[in-house]
Amino acid sequence: MSGNAYDIDVWGLVVALAMVAVAAGVSGLMRMGIGRTLLWSACRALLQLCAMGFVIGYVIRANNVFLVFAMIGVMLVAAVQITLSRAKGVPKGLAGPVLLSLTITMLLMITLVTELVVRPHPWYAPQLVVPLTGMLLGNTVSALAVGLSRFYESMDERRDEIDTMLALGATAWEAARPSIVSSIRLGLLPTMATLASCGIVTIPGMMAGQVIAGGDPLEAAKYQFVVFAAISALTLVADGLIMAMVYRTCFTADDQFRPRDMRGTR
Amino acid sequence: MNVFTAEHVSCVVPSPDGDRMIFSGLSFAIRTGEIVDLVGPSGSGKSSLLTAFALLNPHASGSFALEGRDSGDFTPQRWRREVAYLPQKPILPGETVADAIRLPYTLAVRADGDAPASGVPSSAAGTPTRRMGLVGRFARLFRDDDAKARDLLPEGRIRATLDAMGCDDIDLTRAPHDLSGGQAARVSLARTLLTGPKVLLADEVDAGLDDENADRVASIMADAATHGMAIVRIRHRPPDGRATRVVTLADGALSGSETGDAAAPNGARKLRRTRNA
Repeated sequence: MSGNAYDIDVWGLVVALAMVAVAAGVSGLMRMGIGRTLLWSACRALLQLCAMGFVIGYVIRANNVFLVFAMIGVMLVAAVQITLSRAKGVPKGLAGPVLLSLTITMLLMITLVTELVVRPHPWYAPQLVVPLTGMLLGNTVSALAVGLSRFYESMDERRDEIDTMLALGATAWEAARPSIVSSIRLGLLPTMATLASCGIVTIPGMMAGQVIAGGDPLEAAKYQFVVFAAISALTLVADGLIMAMVYRTCFTADDQFRPRDMRGTR
Repeated sequence: MNVFTAEHVSCVVPSPDGDRMIFSGLSFAIRTGEIVDLVGPSGSGKSSLLTAFALLNPHASGSFALEGRDSGDFTPQRWRREVAYLPQKPILPGETVADAIRLPYTLAVRADGDAPASGVPSSAAGTPTRRMGLVGRFARLFRDDDAKARDLLPEGRIRATLDAMGCDDIDLTRAPHDLSGGQAARVSLARTLLTGPKVLLADEVDAGLDDENADRVASIMADAATHGMAIVRIRHRPPDGRATRVVTLADGALSGSETGDAAAPNGARKLRRTRNA
Protein backbone atom coordinates (compact mmCIF):
# COMPACT_ATOMS: atom_id res chain seq x y z
CA MET A 1 0.00 0.00 0.00
CA SER A 2 2.28 2.80 -1.07
CA GLY A 3 -0.59 4.90 -2.33
CA ASN A 4 0.84 8.19 -1.14
CA ALA A 5 1.75 10.56 -3.90
CA TYR A 6 4.63 11.85 -1.82
CA ASP A 7 6.17 9.38 0.64
CA ILE A 8 7.83 10.49 3.84
CA ASP A 9 11.26 9.01 4.42
CA VAL A 10 13.13 8.48 7.69
CA TRP A 11 14.63 11.97 7.52
CA GLY A 12 11.13 13.39 7.41
CA LEU A 13 10.37 11.75 10.73
CA VAL A 14 13.64 13.03 12.16
CA VAL A 15 12.76 16.59 11.10
CA ALA A 16 9.31 16.27 12.67
CA LEU A 17 10.80 14.99 15.92
CA ALA A 18 13.43 17.73 15.85
CA MET A 19 10.64 20.30 15.62
CA VAL A 20 9.08 18.87 18.76
CA ALA A 21 12.48 18.81 20.44
CA VAL A 22 13.03 22.49 19.65
CA ALA A 23 9.57 23.36 20.99
CA ALA A 24 10.31 21.35 24.12
CA GLY A 25 13.64 23.14 24.47
CA VAL A 26 11.99 26.55 24.20
CA SER A 27 9.36 25.60 26.76
CA GLY A 28 12.16 24.36 29.03
CA LEU A 29 13.91 27.75 28.74
CA MET A 30 10.64 29.49 29.57
CA ARG A 31 10.15 27.11 32.51
CA MET A 32 6.69 26.10 31.39
CA GLY A 33 7.33 22.61 32.67
CA ILE A 34 5.76 20.77 29.77
CA GLY A 35 8.85 20.23 27.61
CA ARG A 36 9.61 16.74 28.88
CA THR A 37 5.97 15.63 28.60
CA LEU A 38 5.74 17.05 25.09
CA LEU A 39 8.83 15.21 23.90
CA TRP A 40 7.79 11.98 25.58
CA SER A 41 4.28 12.20 24.12
CA ALA A 42 5.67 12.84 20.64
CA CYS A 43 7.90 9.76 20.85
CA ARG A 44 4.99 7.70 22.13
CA ALA A 45 2.73 8.95 19.37
CA LEU A 46 5.34 8.05 16.74
CA LEU A 47 5.67 4.53 18.11
CA GLN A 48 1.90 4.03 18.52
CA LEU A 49 1.13 5.30 15.03
CA CYS A 50 3.84 3.20 13.41
CA ALA A 51 2.62 0.15 15.33
CA MET A 52 -0.94 0.91 14.26
CA GLY A 53 0.17 1.33 10.66
CA PHE A 54 2.03 -1.94 10.81
CA VAL A 55 -0.92 -3.81 12.35
CA ILE A 56 -3.49 -2.34 9.98
CA GLY A 57 -1.17 -3.16 7.08
CA TYR A 58 -1.03 -6.75 8.27
CA VAL A 59 -4.82 -6.97 8.73
CA ILE A 60 -5.45 -5.50 5.29
CA ARG A 61 -3.02 -7.90 3.63
CA ALA A 62 -4.46 -10.89 5.53
CA ASN A 63 -7.97 -9.78 4.48
CA ASN A 64 -9.55 -12.13 7.03
CA VAL A 65 -12.95 -11.39 8.56
CA PHE A 66 -12.01 -12.81 11.97
CA LEU A 67 -8.83 -10.82 12.12
CA VAL A 68 -10.77 -7.62 11.33
CA PHE A 69 -13.24 -8.21 14.13
CA ALA A 70 -10.53 -9.31 16.57
CA MET A 71 -8.82 -6.00 15.92
CA ILE A 72 -12.07 -4.08 16.41
CA GLY A 73 -12.58 -6.01 19.67
CA VAL A 74 -9.17 -4.92 20.94
CA MET A 75 -9.94 -1.31 19.96
CA LEU A 76 -13.26 -1.47 21.84
CA VAL A 77 -11.64 -2.76 25.03
CA ALA A 78 -8.98 -0.06 24.84
CA ALA A 79 -11.71 2.54 24.23
CA VAL A 80 -13.56 1.44 27.38
CA GLN A 81 -10.38 1.72 29.41
CA ILE A 82 -9.61 5.20 28.05
CA THR A 83 -13.20 6.40 28.58
CA LEU A 84 -13.21 5.31 32.21
CA SER A 85 -9.78 6.74 32.94
CA ARG A 86 -10.80 10.11 31.44
CA ALA A 87 -14.22 10.35 33.14
CA LYS A 88 -13.88 11.99 36.54
CA GLY A 89 -16.00 11.20 39.58
CA VAL A 90 -17.87 8.25 38.13
CA PRO A 91 -18.75 5.18 40.19
CA LYS A 92 -17.16 1.78 39.73
CA GLY A 93 -18.71 -0.84 37.55
CA LEU A 94 -19.41 1.27 34.46
CA ALA A 95 -17.18 -0.84 32.17
CA GLY A 96 -20.12 -2.98 31.09
CA PRO A 97 -22.46 -0.14 30.10
CA VAL A 98 -19.64 1.74 28.33
CA LEU A 99 -18.59 -1.37 26.39
CA LEU A 100 -22.21 -2.07 25.46
CA SER A 101 -22.91 1.44 24.22
CA LEU A 102 -19.64 1.56 22.24
CA THR A 103 -20.32 -1.85 20.72
CA ILE A 104 -23.87 -0.94 19.68
CA THR A 105 -22.78 2.30 18.05
CA MET A 106 -19.84 0.55 16.36
CA LEU A 107 -22.17 -2.11 14.92
CA LEU A 108 -24.58 0.60 13.74
CA MET A 109 -21.67 2.40 12.10
CA ILE A 110 -20.53 -0.70 10.24
CA THR A 111 -24.07 -1.61 9.22
CA LEU A 112 -25.15 1.81 8.04
CA VAL A 113 -22.02 3.47 6.69
CA THR A 114 -20.12 0.47 5.39
CA GLU A 115 -22.88 -1.80 4.15
CA LEU A 116 -25.53 0.76 3.19
CA VAL A 117 -23.49 3.69 1.88
CA VAL A 118 -20.09 2.42 0.71
CA ARG A 119 -20.93 -1.27 -0.01
CA PRO A 120 -17.32 -2.56 -0.35
CA HIS A 121 -16.16 -5.98 -1.57
CA PRO A 122 -15.62 -8.01 0.51
CA TRP A 123 -18.23 -6.66 2.92
CA TYR A 124 -15.69 -6.50 5.77
CA ALA A 125 -13.08 -4.63 3.72
CA PRO A 126 -10.41 -3.96 6.37
CA GLN A 127 -9.04 -0.75 4.84
CA LEU A 128 -12.54 0.73 5.28
CA VAL A 129 -13.92 -0.88 8.43
CA VAL A 130 -10.88 -0.48 10.67
CA PRO A 131 -10.20 3.24 10.10
CA LEU A 132 -13.93 4.04 10.28
CA THR A 133 -14.22 2.26 13.62
CA GLY A 134 -11.15 4.08 14.83
CA MET A 135 -12.57 7.48 13.92
CA LEU A 136 -15.94 6.68 15.47
CA LEU A 137 -14.39 5.41 18.68
CA GLY A 138 -12.09 8.42 18.93
CA ASN A 139 -15.12 10.68 18.88
CA THR A 140 -17.47 8.66 21.10
CA VAL A 141 -14.77 8.02 23.69
CA SER A 142 -14.28 11.70 24.36
CA ALA A 143 -18.03 12.41 24.17
CA LEU A 144 -18.76 9.65 26.67
CA ALA A 145 -15.96 10.71 29.01
CA VAL A 146 -17.16 14.32 29.00
CA GLY A 147 -20.81 13.29 29.22
CA LEU A 148 -20.29 10.91 32.14
CA SER A 149 -18.15 13.37 34.10
CA ARG A 150 -20.67 16.13 33.54
CA PHE A 151 -23.63 13.90 34.44
CA TYR A 152 -22.32 12.93 37.88
CA GLU A 153 -21.06 16.44 38.56
CA SER A 154 -24.47 17.87 37.64
CA MET A 155 -26.36 15.33 39.74
CA ASP A 156 -24.32 16.36 42.77
CA GLU A 157 -24.83 20.06 42.04
CA ARG A 158 -28.57 19.55 41.64
CA ARG A 159 -28.88 17.53 44.82
CA ASP A 160 -31.42 19.83 46.49
CA GLU A 161 -33.42 20.13 43.29
CA ILE A 162 -33.46 16.36 42.85
CA ASP A 163 -34.63 15.86 46.42
CA THR A 164 -37.39 18.40 45.89
CA MET A 165 -38.48 16.77 42.63
CA LEU A 166 -38.50 13.30 44.18
CA ALA A 167 -40.52 14.65 47.10
CA LEU A 168 -43.05 15.99 44.60
CA GLY A 169 -43.40 12.54 43.07
CA ALA A 170 -40.83 12.59 40.26
CA THR A 171 -39.45 9.30 39.01
CA ALA A 172 -35.70 8.79 39.02
CA TRP A 173 -35.68 9.46 35.28
CA GLU A 174 -37.63 12.69 35.64
CA ALA A 175 -35.37 13.91 38.42
CA ALA A 176 -32.24 13.03 36.42
CA ARG A 177 -33.48 14.36 33.10
CA PRO A 178 -32.04 17.91 33.30
CA SER A 179 -28.61 16.46 34.12
CA ILE A 180 -28.89 13.92 31.31
CA VAL A 181 -29.81 16.59 28.79
CA SER A 182 -27.05 18.96 29.83
CA SER A 183 -24.38 16.25 29.82
CA ILE A 184 -25.38 14.93 26.39
CA ARG A 185 -25.34 18.49 25.09
CA LEU A 186 -21.86 19.08 26.49
CA GLY A 187 -20.60 15.76 25.12
CA LEU A 188 -21.82 16.67 21.63
CA LEU A 189 -20.48 20.22 21.64
CA PRO A 190 -17.07 19.45 20.03
CA THR A 191 -18.72 17.27 17.39
CA MET A 192 -21.14 20.00 16.42
CA ALA A 193 -18.40 22.61 16.42
CA THR A 194 -16.39 20.44 14.02
CA LEU A 195 -19.43 20.00 11.77
CA ALA A 196 -20.01 23.75 11.64
CA SER A 197 -16.41 24.79 11.02
CA CYS A 198 -15.26 22.10 8.60
CA GLY A 199 -14.73 23.24 5.04
CA ILE A 200 -14.48 26.88 6.06
CA VAL A 201 -11.85 26.98 8.76
CA THR A 202 -10.46 23.48 8.69
CA ILE A 203 -9.86 20.67 6.27
CA PRO A 204 -10.75 17.63 8.35
CA GLY A 205 -8.03 15.02 8.85
CA MET A 206 -9.61 12.31 6.77
CA MET A 207 -10.23 14.55 3.77
CA ALA A 208 -6.77 16.08 4.06
CA GLY A 209 -5.29 12.59 4.08
CA GLN A 210 -7.11 11.57 0.94
CA VAL A 211 -6.17 14.78 -0.86
CA ILE A 212 -2.51 14.48 0.09
CA ALA A 213 -2.56 10.85 -1.03
CA GLY A 214 -3.63 12.11 -4.45
CA GLY A 215 -7.37 11.44 -4.24
CA ASP A 216 -10.05 13.55 -5.91
CA PRO A 217 -10.93 16.37 -3.46
CA LEU A 218 -14.65 16.16 -4.25
CA GLU A 219 -14.67 12.40 -3.61
CA ALA A 220 -12.77 13.04 -0.41
CA ALA A 221 -15.33 15.65 0.61
CA LYS A 222 -18.21 13.24 0.07
CA TYR A 223 -16.46 10.59 2.15
CA GLN A 224 -15.74 13.09 4.83
CA PHE A 225 -19.36 14.21 5.00
CA VAL A 226 -20.70 10.68 5.29
CA VAL A 227 -18.26 9.95 8.06
CA PHE A 228 -19.01 13.20 9.91
CA ALA A 229 -22.75 12.71 9.66
CA ALA A 230 -22.50 9.15 10.92
CA ILE A 231 -20.15 10.09 13.72
CA SER A 232 -22.28 12.94 15.02
CA ALA A 233 -25.48 10.90 14.89
CA LEU A 234 -23.88 7.89 16.52
CA THR A 235 -22.18 9.97 19.19
CA LEU A 236 -25.62 11.15 20.23
CA VAL A 237 -26.82 7.55 20.24
CA ALA A 238 -23.84 6.43 22.33
CA ASP A 239 -24.36 9.25 24.83
CA GLY A 240 -28.09 8.59 25.08
CA LEU A 241 -27.53 4.87 25.57
CA ILE A 242 -24.93 5.31 28.28
CA MET A 243 -27.13 7.79 30.18
CA ALA A 244 -30.13 5.48 30.02
CA MET A 245 -27.93 2.72 31.39
CA VAL A 246 -26.16 4.59 34.19
CA TYR A 247 -28.56 7.23 35.55
CA ARG A 248 -29.97 4.74 38.04
CA THR A 249 -26.60 4.54 39.79
CA CYS A 250 -27.57 7.88 41.37
CA PHE A 251 -30.71 6.36 42.89
CA THR A 252 -31.60 3.52 45.23
CA ALA A 253 -34.12 0.81 44.35
CA ASP A 254 -36.81 2.91 46.06
CA ASP A 255 -36.07 5.95 43.87
CA GLN A 256 -34.16 7.79 46.58
CA PHE A 257 -31.22 9.98 45.68
CA ARG A 258 -27.99 8.12 46.29
CA PRO A 259 -25.34 10.65 47.25
CA ARG A 260 -21.80 10.49 45.94
CA ASP A 261 -20.36 8.68 48.99
CA MET A 262 -22.88 5.86 48.60
CA ARG A 263 -22.08 5.29 44.92
CA GLY A 264 -18.62 3.86 45.41
CA THR A 265 -16.92 6.55 43.38
CA ARG A 266 -13.55 5.53 42.05
CA MET B 1 -58.75 7.13 62.51
CA ASN B 2 -55.08 7.54 61.85
CA VAL B 3 -54.38 8.61 58.31
CA PHE B 4 -50.70 7.80 58.57
CA THR B 5 -48.81 5.38 60.82
CA ALA B 6 -45.12 4.57 61.08
CA GLU B 7 -43.58 1.73 63.05
CA HIS B 8 -40.08 0.44 63.74
CA VAL B 9 -38.50 3.45 62.08
CA SER B 10 -34.72 3.35 62.22
CA CYS B 11 -32.00 5.46 60.69
CA VAL B 12 -28.39 4.36 60.51
CA VAL B 13 -25.91 6.69 58.85
CA PRO B 14 -22.67 5.16 57.65
CA SER B 15 -19.54 7.05 58.61
CA PRO B 16 -15.85 6.30 58.22
CA ASP B 17 -15.57 5.12 61.84
CA GLY B 18 -18.48 2.72 61.86
CA ASP B 19 -22.20 3.11 61.36
CA ARG B 20 -23.96 5.69 63.51
CA MET B 21 -27.48 5.01 64.77
CA ILE B 22 -29.56 8.20 64.70
CA PHE B 23 -32.71 6.53 66.04
CA SER B 24 -34.34 3.14 65.96
CA GLY B 25 -37.67 1.51 66.69
CA LEU B 26 -39.65 4.76 66.60
CA SER B 27 -43.42 4.75 66.16
CA PHE B 28 -45.61 7.62 65.07
CA ALA B 29 -49.19 8.18 64.00
CA ILE B 30 -51.22 11.18 62.91
CA ARG B 31 -54.92 11.72 62.27
CA THR B 32 -56.73 13.65 59.59
CA GLY B 33 -56.62 17.38 60.17
CA GLU B 34 -54.03 17.18 62.93
CA ILE B 35 -51.03 19.49 63.14
CA VAL B 36 -48.15 17.88 65.02
CA ASP B 37 -45.06 19.88 65.89
CA LEU B 38 -41.85 17.87 65.88
CA VAL B 39 -39.22 19.50 68.08
CA GLY B 40 -35.88 18.48 69.48
CA PRO B 41 -32.22 19.48 69.55
CA SER B 42 -30.23 19.96 66.34
CA GLY B 43 -28.87 16.72 64.98
CA SER B 44 -31.45 14.59 66.76
CA GLY B 45 -32.70 13.41 63.37
CA LYS B 46 -35.95 15.32 62.90
CA SER B 47 -35.37 15.80 59.18
CA SER B 48 -34.22 12.20 58.83
CA LEU B 49 -37.51 11.08 60.41
CA LEU B 50 -39.63 13.13 58.03
CA THR B 51 -37.67 12.06 54.94
CA ALA B 52 -38.05 8.47 56.18
CA PHE B 53 -41.84 8.98 56.28
CA ALA B 54 -41.77 10.12 52.64
CA LEU B 55 -39.56 7.15 51.67
CA LEU B 56 -36.88 9.62 50.65
CA ASN B 57 -34.19 8.62 53.13
CA PRO B 58 -31.80 5.95 51.83
CA HIS B 59 -30.45 5.38 55.35
CA ALA B 60 -33.82 4.78 57.01
CA SER B 61 -36.08 1.78 57.29
CA GLY B 62 -39.44 1.07 58.86
CA SER B 63 -42.99 0.12 58.03
CA PHE B 64 -45.38 2.85 57.01
CA ALA B 65 -49.06 2.82 56.21
CA LEU B 66 -51.45 5.34 54.71
CA GLU B 67 -55.12 4.81 55.60
CA GLY B 68 -54.25 1.25 56.55
CA ARG B 69 -52.45 0.46 53.30
CA ASP B 70 -48.82 -0.52 53.55
CA SER B 71 -46.27 1.66 51.74
CA GLY B 72 -45.15 -1.46 49.86
CA ASP B 73 -48.46 -1.35 47.96
CA PHE B 74 -47.52 2.01 46.46
CA THR B 75 -44.87 2.96 43.95
CA PRO B 76 -42.49 5.46 45.58
CA GLN B 77 -44.02 8.17 43.36
CA ARG B 78 -47.62 7.39 44.37
CA TRP B 79 -46.61 7.27 48.01
CA ARG B 80 -44.85 10.64 47.84
CA ARG B 81 -47.85 12.16 46.10
CA GLU B 82 -49.91 11.43 49.22
CA VAL B 83 -47.16 11.79 51.84
CA ALA B 84 -45.46 14.96 50.71
CA TYR B 85 -42.17 16.10 52.18
CA LEU B 86 -41.58 19.84 51.97
CA PRO B 87 -37.86 20.63 52.22
CA GLN B 88 -36.59 23.53 54.26
CA LYS B 89 -34.87 25.15 51.30
CA PRO B 90 -37.37 26.36 48.68
CA ILE B 91 -36.14 25.09 45.29
CA LEU B 92 -38.11 26.73 42.50
CA PRO B 93 -36.84 25.67 39.06
CA GLY B 94 -38.29 27.33 35.97
CA GLU B 95 -38.46 30.69 34.22
CA THR B 96 -41.35 32.08 36.22
CA VAL B 97 -43.09 31.52 39.53
CA ALA B 98 -45.97 29.92 37.60
CA ASP B 99 -43.56 27.40 36.03
CA ALA B 100 -42.16 26.53 39.44
CA ILE B 101 -45.65 25.92 40.80
CA ARG B 102 -46.52 23.74 37.81
CA LEU B 103 -43.47 21.51 38.27
CA PRO B 104 -45.42 18.71 40.03
CA TYR B 105 -47.87 18.62 37.14
CA THR B 106 -45.11 17.97 34.60
CA LEU B 107 -44.46 14.63 36.30
CA ALA B 108 -45.73 11.26 35.14
CA VAL B 109 -47.30 10.48 38.52
CA ARG B 110 -49.90 13.18 37.84
CA ALA B 111 -50.15 12.52 34.09
CA ASP B 112 -53.47 10.72 34.58
CA GLY B 113 -54.88 14.22 34.71
CA ASP B 114 -56.57 14.50 38.06
CA ALA B 115 -57.10 18.19 38.59
CA PRO B 116 -55.24 19.93 41.38
CA ALA B 117 -56.97 19.79 44.73
CA SER B 118 -57.88 23.10 46.27
CA GLY B 119 -56.77 22.46 49.80
CA VAL B 120 -58.79 19.29 50.07
CA PRO B 121 -56.73 16.11 49.91
CA SER B 122 -57.56 14.25 46.74
CA SER B 123 -59.29 10.92 47.03
CA ALA B 124 -57.04 9.36 44.42
CA ALA B 125 -56.10 5.86 45.45
CA GLY B 126 -52.48 4.85 45.23
CA THR B 127 -52.83 2.07 42.74
CA PRO B 128 -49.41 0.70 41.89
CA THR B 129 -48.42 1.53 38.34
CA ARG B 130 -45.88 -0.10 36.15
CA ARG B 131 -42.47 1.48 35.98
CA MET B 132 -41.89 3.30 32.72
CA GLY B 133 -40.06 1.24 30.14
CA LEU B 134 -37.00 2.44 28.29
CA VAL B 135 -39.09 3.51 25.31
CA GLY B 136 -41.44 5.46 27.52
CA ARG B 137 -38.54 7.26 29.13
CA PHE B 138 -37.07 8.18 25.78
CA ALA B 139 -40.43 9.45 24.62
CA ARG B 140 -40.68 11.62 27.72
CA LEU B 141 -37.25 13.06 27.02
CA PHE B 142 -38.65 14.76 23.96
CA ARG B 143 -42.23 15.44 24.96
CA ASP B 144 -43.40 18.84 26.03
CA ASP B 145 -44.72 18.25 29.51
CA ASP B 146 -44.94 21.97 30.18
CA ALA B 147 -47.84 22.43 27.78
CA LYS B 148 -49.71 19.64 29.50
CA ALA B 149 -49.03 21.16 32.90
CA ARG B 150 -50.41 24.48 31.68
CA ASP B 151 -53.65 22.71 30.75
CA LEU B 152 -53.86 20.99 34.11
CA LEU B 153 -53.05 24.08 36.09
CA PRO B 154 -53.95 27.29 34.24
CA GLU B 155 -52.62 30.63 35.38
CA GLY B 156 -55.98 31.76 36.72
CA ARG B 157 -56.22 28.72 38.90
CA ILE B 158 -52.82 29.34 40.44
CA ARG B 159 -53.65 33.00 40.95
CA ALA B 160 -56.90 32.21 42.73
CA THR B 161 -55.26 29.65 44.99
CA LEU B 162 -52.35 31.92 45.86
CA ASP B 163 -54.75 34.77 46.63
CA ALA B 164 -56.80 32.48 48.86
CA MET B 165 -53.58 31.63 50.68
CA GLY B 166 -52.82 35.27 51.27
CA CYS B 167 -50.09 35.32 48.64
CA ASP B 168 -51.55 38.17 46.57
CA ASP B 169 -48.16 39.94 46.75
CA ILE B 170 -46.55 37.32 44.51
CA ASP B 171 -46.40 38.03 40.77
CA LEU B 172 -46.65 34.78 38.80
CA THR B 173 -44.63 36.11 35.87
CA ARG B 174 -41.61 36.99 37.97
CA ALA B 175 -38.44 34.93 37.94
CA PRO B 176 -38.34 32.70 41.04
CA HIS B 177 -34.90 33.94 42.11
CA ASP B 178 -36.26 37.50 42.39
CA LEU B 179 -38.61 36.45 45.20
CA SER B 180 -37.85 37.38 48.77
CA GLY B 181 -37.11 34.59 51.24
CA GLY B 182 -40.59 34.73 52.68
CA GLN B 183 -42.24 34.75 49.27
CA ALA B 184 -40.12 31.80 48.07
CA ALA B 185 -41.06 29.82 51.19
CA ARG B 186 -44.75 30.50 50.59
CA VAL B 187 -44.54 29.61 46.86
CA SER B 188 -42.80 26.36 47.75
CA LEU B 189 -45.50 25.59 50.31
CA ALA B 190 -48.28 26.54 47.88
CA ARG B 191 -46.79 24.27 45.22
CA THR B 192 -46.96 21.25 47.52
CA LEU B 193 -50.39 22.16 48.93
CA LEU B 194 -51.82 22.48 45.40
CA THR B 195 -50.95 18.83 44.80
CA GLY B 196 -53.31 17.94 47.64
CA PRO B 197 -51.33 15.40 49.66
CA LYS B 198 -53.01 13.59 52.55
CA VAL B 199 -49.99 14.11 54.78
CA LEU B 200 -47.70 17.14 54.66
CA LEU B 201 -44.26 16.85 56.22
CA ALA B 202 -43.00 20.42 56.56
CA ASP B 203 -39.31 20.58 57.39
CA GLU B 204 -38.78 23.89 59.17
CA VAL B 205 -40.25 25.91 56.34
CA ASP B 206 -40.45 29.01 58.55
CA ALA B 207 -36.73 29.01 59.37
CA GLY B 208 -35.08 32.25 58.35
CA LEU B 209 -38.39 34.06 57.96
CA ASP B 210 -39.44 37.10 59.94
CA ASP B 211 -42.32 36.73 62.39
CA GLU B 212 -44.88 38.12 59.97
CA ASN B 213 -43.95 35.71 57.17
CA ALA B 214 -43.68 32.79 59.59
CA ASP B 215 -47.19 33.55 60.76
CA ARG B 216 -48.49 33.67 57.20
CA VAL B 217 -46.88 30.30 56.42
CA ALA B 218 -48.38 28.85 59.60
CA SER B 219 -51.87 30.10 58.84
CA ILE B 220 -51.73 28.69 55.29
CA MET B 221 -50.93 25.29 56.77
CA ALA B 222 -53.57 25.63 59.48
CA ASP B 223 -56.12 26.32 56.77
CA ALA B 224 -55.06 23.18 54.88
CA ALA B 225 -55.45 21.20 58.11
CA THR B 226 -59.03 22.37 58.55
CA HIS B 227 -59.67 20.84 55.12
CA GLY B 228 -58.42 17.51 56.41
CA MET B 229 -54.70 17.50 55.67
CA ALA B 230 -52.51 15.89 58.34
CA ILE B 231 -49.45 18.05 58.92
CA VAL B 232 -46.17 17.39 60.72
CA ARG B 233 -44.08 20.51 61.25
CA ILE B 234 -40.47 20.68 62.35
CA ARG B 235 -40.15 23.94 64.21
CA HIS B 236 -37.55 25.84 66.17
CA ARG B 237 -39.75 28.83 66.93
CA PRO B 238 -41.77 29.19 70.09
CA PRO B 239 -45.17 27.41 69.94
CA ASP B 240 -47.69 29.38 67.87
CA GLY B 241 -50.79 27.71 69.27
CA ARG B 242 -51.70 26.06 66.00
CA ALA B 243 -50.39 22.59 66.81
CA THR B 244 -52.74 19.97 68.17
CA ARG B 245 -49.79 18.33 69.92
CA VAL B 246 -46.03 18.52 70.23
CA VAL B 247 -43.70 15.57 69.85
CA THR B 248 -40.06 15.71 70.90
CA LEU B 249 -37.27 13.74 69.27
CA ALA B 250 -34.23 13.59 71.52
CA ASP B 251 -31.55 10.98 72.18
CA GLY B 252 -33.10 8.68 69.61
CA ALA B 253 -36.53 8.57 71.25
CA LEU B 254 -39.87 10.19 70.44
CA SER B 255 -41.80 11.50 73.43
CA GLY B 256 -44.61 13.77 74.46
CA SER B 257 -48.10 13.69 73.10
CA GLU B 258 -50.76 16.02 74.32
CA THR B 259 -53.77 14.41 72.74
CA GLY B 260 -52.31 10.98 72.07
CA ASP B 261 -54.18 7.78 71.44
CA ALA B 262 -53.17 4.15 71.69
CA ALA B 263 -51.30 4.14 68.41
CA ALA B 264 -49.63 7.46 69.06
CA PRO B 265 -45.96 7.78 69.99
CA ASN B 266 -44.92 5.33 72.63
CA GLY B 267 -42.85 7.72 74.60
CA ALA B 268 -39.77 7.16 76.61
CA ARG B 269 -38.60 3.90 75.13
CA LYS B 270 -34.91 4.05 75.83
CA LEU B 271 -32.97 3.24 72.73
CA ARG B 272 -29.44 2.08 72.47
CA ARG B 273 -27.13 4.03 70.30
CA THR B 274 -23.84 2.66 69.21
CA ARG B 275 -22.20 6.04 69.18
CA ASN B 276 -23.04 9.50 70.38
CA ALA B 277 -24.55 11.82 67.85
